[in-house]
Amino acid sequence: MTGFGAFLGKELTEIRRTWRLWVIPGMLVFFGITSPIIAALTPALVQSMATSQPGLVIRIPPPTARDAYVQFIKSLDQLVLIAIIITGASVVSGERSSGTAILALTKPLSRAAFVVTKILSQTMLLVAATALGTAVCLAVTAVVFDGGDGARLVTAVAVWLVYAVLLVVVMTLFSAAFHSRGAAAGAGLGFYFFTLLLSAWGPAARNSFVGLVLATQKALVIESQSLGWPIATGVVAIGLGAVAAVGIFERQEL
Amino acid sequence: MTVIRPDESAAIELRGLTKRFGDAIALDGVDLVVRPGIVFGFLGRNGAGKTTALRILSGLARPTAGTAHVLGHDVERATDAIRARIGFLPDVPGFYPWMTAREYLEFAGRLFGLDKATLDARATALLEMAGLASVTTRVGGFSRGMKQRLGIAQALINAPSLLMLDEPTSALDPIGRREVLEMVASLRGRTTVFFSTHILADVERVCDAVAILERGRVVASAGVAELTARATANRLIVEVEDSVAAAAVAGALAGRAWLKSIETDGRALHLAVSDLPSAQREIPAAIAAAGMALRRFEIGETSLEDVFVELVGGPAQ
Repeated sequence: MTGFGAFLGKELTEIRRTWRLWVIPGMLVFFGITSPIIAALTPALVQSMATSQPGLVIRIPPPTARDAYVQFIKSLDQLVLIAIIITGASVVSGERSSGTAILALTKPLSRAAFVVTKILSQTMLLVAATALGTAVCLAVTAVVFDGGDGARLVTAVAVWLVYAVLLVVVMTLFSAAFHSRGAAAGAGLGFYFFTLLLSAWGPAARNSFVGLVLATQKALVIESQSLGWPIATGVVAIGLGAVAAVGIFERQEL
Repeated sequence: MTVIRPDESAAIELRGLTKRFGDAIALDGVDLVVRPGIVFGFLGRNGAGKTTALRILSGLARPTAGTAHVLGHDVERATDAIRARIGFLPDVPGFYPWMTAREYLEFAGRLFGLDKATLDARATALLEMAGLASVTTRVGGFSRGMKQRLGIAQALINAPSLLMLDEPTSALDPIGRREVLEMVASLRGRTTVFFSTHILADVERVCDAVAILERGRVVASAGVAELTARATANRLIVEVEDSVAAAAVAGALAGRAWLKSIETDGRALHLAVSDLPSAQREIPAAIAAAGMALRRFEIGETSLEDVFVELVGGPAQ
């Protein structure tokens, strides 16, 4: 893959020097801080609402560290995945429409290197940001709740990360396939909601990567669950998605 | 079956190059050979197919039919070998706005695998040449002219054997344009320069050879001097006593078989003629027959514009 190292260097510098450094890492750190705090305050907020309604009695068990982790994972499952879709929609199409891809690709930079570098740099950012956000969540939870089963959160986040990386690859594919960022984002949202819907169907959830969507939250509450097929098919889908993204981009005229 | 082997000494060789977009034909069987070391102008009106040809030559698009060889390599097969030896500037170059000019040149140089010492030296020299050595702002704040100059600099970072420029002067002010043309001319003999333009004056100023593209077809390709000599129309300037006499002469000459066009400008007449000897005989005779005096009879120089107008039926610019 000609030009891979030089282009990866450019991608990582771009992350460091533009808005890309702040969006997903910022969200993950923000949710890492606020999830334990929201979990701790939720019972008090609900009780205060109940006292304003005579006759209404709401019993809520005392919040635990697990509530903080569930809150964090919910944020990852919804808001962060949508942020990945929106930011990923322009990862190739943006370079194509601004003309930067033309200048780079008329130098010794192969199209395969261009696409793989995009996937790799986004994945590196996502993994680093997720590790940071999770560490922050564990630390704040430890302070607010005086400890908790951090290993479960780490397991749940790891499962989520497989699906999130798959979404990165899928968005790179859509961004390579569609000239419009809007169309790529629309296709990405369609993919996300379709897998969400499909995950409710038992056989699909057990035997394919769509099971990762629900498995993330289950990992916090269930002692053990069989994730072999969802993870294995997820990894295979990541590979196939990357190959498809390269193939589509190589056939395109710029 | 006859196999036509590519001319390996040619910098660019196109054989029957065709590009279709649905029903529209952008390039229609283009044949062209560009010899190494020269400055070659690829002239044509907007929409003639110049950019499409450059996109194919640089590997950004594929031909529908025909072949294109760059530096002896087939553009569809040897993309890496070609990209390593060419410099390319598109009509509207796109840069990463967060980079400085030097950072962009360093990025481009690293893609070519240049070592640090070579890259530093070339980046410094090219920034100097582009008038950007003292500019420290990011490219996002550059004017279009500055971007165009940076575009030329980045296209030269690998000391290319072939420099391909798409409308390199169209966004520049007169001074910037002159600087770019001087830079292009200075590369003659060291690098083949293939640049597309619709500005005839640029071609006349720096090009050794030119091809005229019209509606996807090469209608002429030759040295600039040879091409102007090929023109079938000669320009004549004739002056008589006054504007009234000029109008009378124009009326008397109208309809002659050798007359291609005639315009009056005060007492002067500007004529384009297809048969110079006939015009030389009949114009003075017509003036004398009308009882008027001939004050000036001059055979004008044929310009590239005359050739262009004759071949494509309208002025470029």
